[in-house]
Amino acid sequence: MTVEDQVRDIVAKITRVDKSIITRQSTFKEIKADSLDVVQALVAVEETFGIEIPDEEAQKFQNFGDFVSYVESRVAQEEKV
Amino acid sequence: MSLDGKLALVTGSGRGIGRAIALKLASQGVDIIVNFFRHRDSAEQTAKDIESLGVKAEVIRANVGDPAKIDEMFDMISNKFGRLDILISNAASGVGRPVVDIDVKAWEWTMDINARALLLCAQRAAKLMEGRGGKIVSISSLGSRFVLPNYTVVGVSKAALEALTRYLAIELAPQNICVNTVAASAVETEALKFYFKEGLVKDNRQVTPAGRMVIPEDVANIVAFLCSEEAFMIRGQTIIVDGGTSVGLFALAGK
Repeated sequence: MTVEDQVRDIVAKITRVDKSIITRQSTFKEIKADSLDVVQALVAVEETFGIEIPDEEAQKFQNFGDFVSYVESRVAQEEKV
Repeated sequence: MSLDGKLALVTGSGRGIGRAIALKLASQGVDIIVNFFRHRDSAEQTAKDIESLGVKAEVIRANVGDPAKIDEMFDMISNKFGRLDILISNAASGVGRPVVDIDVKAWEWTMDINARALLLCAQRAAKLMEGRGGKIVSISSLGSRFVLPNYTVVGVSKAALEALTRYLAIELAPQNICVNTVAASAVETEALKFYFKEGLVKDNRQVTPAGRMVIPEDVANIVAFLCSEEAFMIRGQTIIVDGGTSVGLFALAGK
């Protein structure tokens, strides 16, 4: 399972939307994620991948794709260490 | 009122009221464990500022809404320090919605972080205070007793916190642990900016008899007093820090 698939599963579960509608272009608003959903998704992703996503970084995410790219880069960093 | 050599855990002390409390206690010689959840940079800045006051600081990340994370945090404190003198249960979160839009998720998230965390942290803290006594102070808000727009879940969680404070105060009294809470009106913090933006809070300087908004240091001063031996006989109380707003409500209603 790719990082993107795992993040999509987490976001779909928290927002209770069908994961097929979540594309890299989807904004949190489009998938009806409120601020609590976003925080819970961040926490779940952090625990799944053993990373930390500061709010300062999360606030820059414009869409699902930005979120995935950030997680991918952090996971890659962790693997190097 | 020196608290020299004591050790305090201040939850949510990266920013706002928690940061002000951490710095106030540090200025009185208390070593501080800075807990944060979402803002590591702020927490590390708080720790630096604490150290510049000549005491020790330790930064630890934990979501106090998660019992397992509370356990991990206290395991660390237990292993590293083996004691705790002061617990400040300050970390808070909340979902601002009208009553009809509150779902189970919003309720649980808010109650877990704002109310249950005090219970779980106090249980673990009490063990670390065994044989030495201690102080537990939490942070409430006027929303526990007055209705604010879209504040239901937070208000209810703070009412639970205040009730819990009374029970803790009585049941922990034999262990020489003093438990109290400080309830503030709107305090000028980052969190308040969010509430302003969402239209949940208005600038209340006009309705504050003291003539200005409450600042984090106002709350920190009272918390530090409650942590001192001078406050030994204050137990299970909710001390209101609001510049007179709540007692002036009727007088202000006509304005």
